[in-house]
Amino acid sequence: MEKQYWQSLEEYKKLKDQSLRENEEPLPEFSIEGLEESEIKGKSSRRDFLKMLGFSVGTVALVSSCQMPVRKAIPFLNQPEDLIPGVPNFYASTFFDGIDYCSILVKTREGRPIKIEGNDMSSLTKGGTSVRVQASVLNLYDDARLRNPRKVEVDSDWETVDRDILMKLEEFSKKNEKVVLLTSTIISPATRKLITDFTGKYPNVEWVQYDAVSYSSIRHAHKQNFGKNVIPFYRFDKADVIVSFNADFLGNWLLPVTFTKQFVSNRHLMKGKTKMSRLFQYESRLSLTGSNADYRYGIRPSEESAILLNLYNEIAKATGNPTYYAPPVSIEIKQAAKDLLAAKGKSLVVSGTNNERIQLIVNAINEALGNYGKTLDLDHPINLKQGDENKMTALVDEMKAGKINGLMIYNVNPAYDYPDREAFIAGLNKVPLKVSFAETLDETAGLCNYVCTTHNYLESWDDAEPITGTYSFMQPAIRPIFNTRQFQDNLVKWAGLGTDYAKYLEKFWEQKIANEYPETVKFSEFWTKLKQDGVLQLDQKSSGQPEFISQELSAEDPLKEGLEVVLYEKISIGAGKHTNNPWLLELPDPITTATWDNYVCVPVSYAREHNLNKEDVVIVNGNIELPVIVQPGQPDGTVSIALGFGRTAAGKAGNNVGKNVFPLMNTSNGRCNVSGTPVTIEKIEGKTYELALTQMHHTMEGRPIFRETTLKDYIKNPASGNERHKIDEEKNVTLYSMVDFDGIQWGLTIDLNSCTGCANCVIACQSENNIPVIGKDQVRRRRIMHWMRIDRYYSDEPENPDVYHMPIMCQQCDNAPCENVCPVAATNHSNEGLNQMAYNRCIGTRYCMNNCPYRVRRFNWYEYVNNNSYDYNMNSELGKMVLNPDVIVRQRGVVEKCTYCVQRLQAGKLQAKAENRELIDGEIQTACSQSCPADAIRFGNLLQKGSVVSEVNKEERMYHLLEELHTLPSTSYLTKVRNREA
Amino acid sequence: MIIKGFVLKNPLKKRGLIVFSLFVASLFLSFSSIAQTAEAEKNFAQCKACHTIGGGKLVGPDLKGVTEKRDEAWLIKFIQNSQAMVQAGDADAVAVFEENFKIPMPSHNLTDEQVKDILLYIKNGGKVAGAAEEKAETETVQPEQVAQPSLAEQVVEEEARGRKNMYITFVVMIVLLIISLIDIFWTKILKYRWIHIVVILTALWIVSEVLFFEATALGRQQYYQPTQPVWFSHKVHAGQNQIDCMYCHFTADKSMHAGIPSVAVCMNCHSQVKKGKITGEEEIKKVTDAYANGTPIRWIKVHNLPDHVYFNHEQHVKVGKVDCEECHGPVEEMDVVMQVNTLGMGWCIDCHRTKEIDLNNKFYGQYTKLHEKLKNGEIANPTVIDIGGEECAKCHY
Repeated sequence: MEKQYWQSLEEYKKLKDQSLRENEEPLPEFSIEGLEESEIKGKSSRRDFLKMLGFSVGTVALVSSCQMPVRKAIPFLNQPEDLIPGVPNFYASTFFDGIDYCSILVKTREGRPIKIEGNDMSSLTKGGTSVRVQASVLNLYDDARLRNPRKVEVDSDWETVDRDILMKLEEFSKKNEKVVLLTSTIISPATRKLITDFTGKYPNVEWVQYDAVSYSSIRHAHKQNFGKNVIPFYRFDKADVIVSFNADFLGNWLLPVTFTKQFVSNRHLMKGKTKMSRLFQYESRLSLTGSNADYRYGIRPSEESAILLNLYNEIAKATGNPTYYAPPVSIEIKQAAKDLLAAKGKSLVVSGTNNERIQLIVNAINEALGNYGKTLDLDHPINLKQGDENKMTALVDEMKAGKINGLMIYNVNPAYDYPDREAFIAGLNKVPLKVSFAETLDETAGLCNYVCTTHNYLESWDDAEPITGTYSFMQPAIRPIFNTRQFQDNLVKWAGLGTDYAKYLEKFWEQKIANEYPETVKFSEFWTKLKQDGVLQLDQKSSGQPEFISQELSAEDPLKEGLEVVLYEKISIGAGKHTNNPWLLELPDPITTATWDNYVCVPVSYAREHNLNKEDVVIVNGNIELPVIVQPGQPDGTVSIALGFGRTAAGKAGNNVGKNVFPLMNTSNGRCNVSGTPVTIEKIEGKTYELALTQMHHTMEGRPIFRETTLKDYIKNPASGNERHKIDEEKNVTLYSMVDFDGIQWGLTIDLNSCTGCANCVIACQSENNIPVIGKDQVRRRRIMHWMRIDRYYSDEPENPDVYHMPIMCQQCDNAPCENVCPVAATNHSNEGLNQMAYNRCIGTRYCMNNCPYRVRRFNWYEYVNNNSYDYNMNSELGKMVLNPDVIVRQRGVVEKCTYCVQRLQAGKLQAKAENRELIDGEIQTACSQSCPADAIRFGNLLQKGSVVSEVNKEERMYHLLEELHTLPSTSYLTKVRNREA
Repeated sequence: MIIKGFVLKNPLKKRGLIVFSLFVASLFLSFSSIAQTAEAEKNFAQCKACHTIGGGKLVGPDLKGVTEKRDEAWLIKFIQNSQAMVQAGDADAVAVFEENFKIPMPSHNLTDEQVKDILLYIKNGGKVAGAAEEKAETETVQPEQVAQPSLAEQVVEEEARGRKNMYITFVVMIVLLIISLIDIFWTKILKYRWIHIVVILTALWIVSEVLFFEATALGRQQYYQPTQPVWFSHKVHAGQNQIDCMYCHFTADKSMHAGIPSVAVCMNCHSQVKKGKITGEEEIKKVTDAYANGTPIRWIKVHNLPDHVYFNHEQHVKVGKVDCEECHGPVEEMDVVMQVNTLGMGWCIDCHRTKEIDLNNKFYGQYTKLHEKLKNGEIANPTVIDIGGEECAKCHY
């Protein structure tokens, strides 16, 4: 029997129960919920008719009496040399929000940033981005941003703020009273130097770094094992066997973009390559990484150390290292141990749990396997996550004791995300001078006497050193929109180090480079090139592998009863920094497909026993009320809840969405850990909460659209799992003449084996194509506007299913079902193979939507622009500045869809024509393919010889979606291969 | 109607003037001897930017009586290349240069004969021989305006007349329609029913034709000629002074927008040129003030496309090598710029159907099948539509 895929538990039940299936009626493409009876039936009374008649006559009269608007053209007084209206400029810069790093290119039009692209010169991110990076451009135009500096809850000016704070600083300095500078992790070498200079001027200032989600135990374990307080740089590209314990390195862990690039580079099965890495994932919730694993095991958080120690013992036995007592566990580890031992020096074990005991075992395993120096690089450590929760705890205690006279807070929001936020707030209230450096009036800034409103990162100068020796440069892509000042500018000013940070930065680099860079290059030239490239790599001498100091290993006894909670950062909003970003809030979670909320994911077995269903409401630990999602793959004995929600001072989109679960952080082992807190959940009978899940939207009625195989079968037969392709190709005969393309036929391929489902493409597409945000209620009505979606399928049993991600956008069929049914020829075929869509011609019959087997067309049910009912970025003058001027904003009543970013195709062709040359393969990229961190999406001209897409299409894994329908799509897919024994 | 409103804002010149000018124009065409002098007048257009004949000093000196003051050979040499003479140290030339604040007179690529013609024209006080008397008459009517109406104005005039006829026909047809309907049901004067039917059908046809014509014009701005905040004349700049379009609209071959020049571009010349021939100092002062005060000029956009159309100047100017006039009309003849063409989709497509593509551009090398067809003689000259110039997504996205 053919393998069966399912998208939700309801669907799974139907698969198992034939009778349910037969009586099933497919869901309509759109929902009719909320319509009145008469509207559904489409009947209208005589009165309705007269009303409509009157209305239309009135409208016509009104419209015809309107004057055409007078449009102004206001040129520059002095046109800047490098700014031509209508031509985009790209600035190489860096995204860093205190948590995530990415080297980027900022696309600006008429001086305003409109899109973030990946910087492919970066050796770390290699042109990839993540959803948060893509969406960060919208934060620049956030209405919640403060316009002016503030003094005691009212707008002020910089002179007052400067004078007041300087006076206080000097006063405290004289009396030697303690002031603390509390910041996020800072990876900028220049800013670190600046802070040192600042504390040099004011010796009473102490600098504390704080991370809401801490990774400090990795640093401490390495300190104990190697004497170095570092997070090593992991090389997933060099690892043939990866064993990960709760490390979601493809989703959120440290450098997800870099790790995705690395991970996927060792799994590309192209041009006859048959080698790919194998990923074992032991985890306490279904993460993005787990969904891509070859072997996945669900574990309780309390079991982790025991499993790891058992694994260590297995390896130690074979390598002759000392073994330790480990509590017995039922989870299978033999396979992982066998594979690890077979790949000594080419394997990697990681853990995302912030527990020193666990990290010591991980280090011991990696040491026993000889991985240090090979897949773990201690010479170029990762500089992210430098916060230490012990210092933060000490700070809160001192604050409560009234020992702190001044607190300056930059880029962190402990009043929201500190586990014991009441203690922090109580302590903060005892501090006389509270200065916040914030963009918006967040929970913490709202409690401060002074808010030194800061620039957005797109308005700032800075540098970054994400891993030692690799630099990335940040430069402004727009003049500051508001009366704001960069955080560093304040320090420069208050320490009397000059006028602004830009000059300080340049001087810092000049002095630094004098030591590290060959002097033959003139600094001015070097500086220009640095600003152009945005990245720099300096060769660093290896300091040699430090001696491994082995430590005593131990494991805790696993809990057998009760529930343990796992808190996680959503792929979309993260730990709460981006909660006011409507693009991210409306992004369906890659696993649960939920938008706009957080919820408790409960295991299937638990739900069955306690009669819990989707959208039931439970109380967690007696005080947090949350809805439930029954999550396949959620391990028994665990529940998981997303962080980052429940903000009260985020802004109009993010306020009071979901609940804040930071108080559930596990602080029992001296570290602040996201998992392991025992919780109780209690169902509130009869109460439900509506969730906006997209998992059953736009389904394809269970047709065999996802194809997969295992590496073993693939080596035997590259077409395995894809046998149907050949049959369908043979059956695909037609009486009609085939479309004959000349010169250009655009094509896109998606390698399902590379795609991790990170959803970067969805936001890239939304940003490029002016796709509106429609809000939770409309999403519930199956009206989500995203032109591309990532379908998530499960197979096998719901307790631990296999998970599949499949990006789907318009397939640009050469034999398109939608084109034939359009009564006004608004959608038709271009000579370049595009299924083009003329929005201004569309009259909204939606016939095309009904006829599209891929369900990729979207209908504008309402005007989503300038509409107070949809109060997101398109309803604000500031928010609208993010719109791409090359793409129309669709009006109510028209159907829209992907056209392979036709505006980019036209621009790319024009550039080639203007330069009198042929098109170069790869120079034109769609928004989704440009920044794909997994290189899964490739785009190009199918007719061009040797083009990437035409080569990929020769692979035996290639197939078209629903090819048996003879729609002849231009988009192709490559089968997924799992590296499994059976 | 919307468009009418715009036209009415800019009242047309007196009809008599136009009729007369057409008469003058026909005279030019019929007598070749006069045509030569007409050439002198045309050439003198270049001089008009800086000189008058008896109208006082502009940038350069008043030319009245110059032919008596200097000898012909000197004048010819000076007009052809004044700077060469200044540098050679000709005493008179240097004196003239110094007198005029060292603003060099540009060299002119004119033959000796042409210069002589111009000198004769100056000697006659700026009058064309043979048409001198009538000319004087028109100048007394509107001395500040240039006599000959521009092509655009003629077109508008014709169009307005056509429209008037159309409206009359429309009303007549409605009346006929009503009469025949009344007759067919009540009065029954005409016995032959087919007459009614023919009249009704014809009337309906014409009425719907007129309605259709009017409906297509909805939202279009043909003949839109708004009054600009600065009385800027393309006729003076592009026509008489022969300034290249791309000098000011320099992004037309680089960007989707042709670009309204920044005030700094105006200042390239107007830091020196402070007085206009037609408008005097007032209008130029607006420009220099804008530059001095840092307030940009808020021009009114004449050529507007709806938001759902993507138009790119670079594609048409640089790649397609379309002349500016092909779409914008004879701008160099317009004092106030007017949209001459409909800028409707039919108008775009008409051009795409006839405009040949430049096959020397290497980009088109990839259209192998097209090249094959060319070689086999199946098609002669590929036009834009052969590479998809008729398709929606080339302009609408």
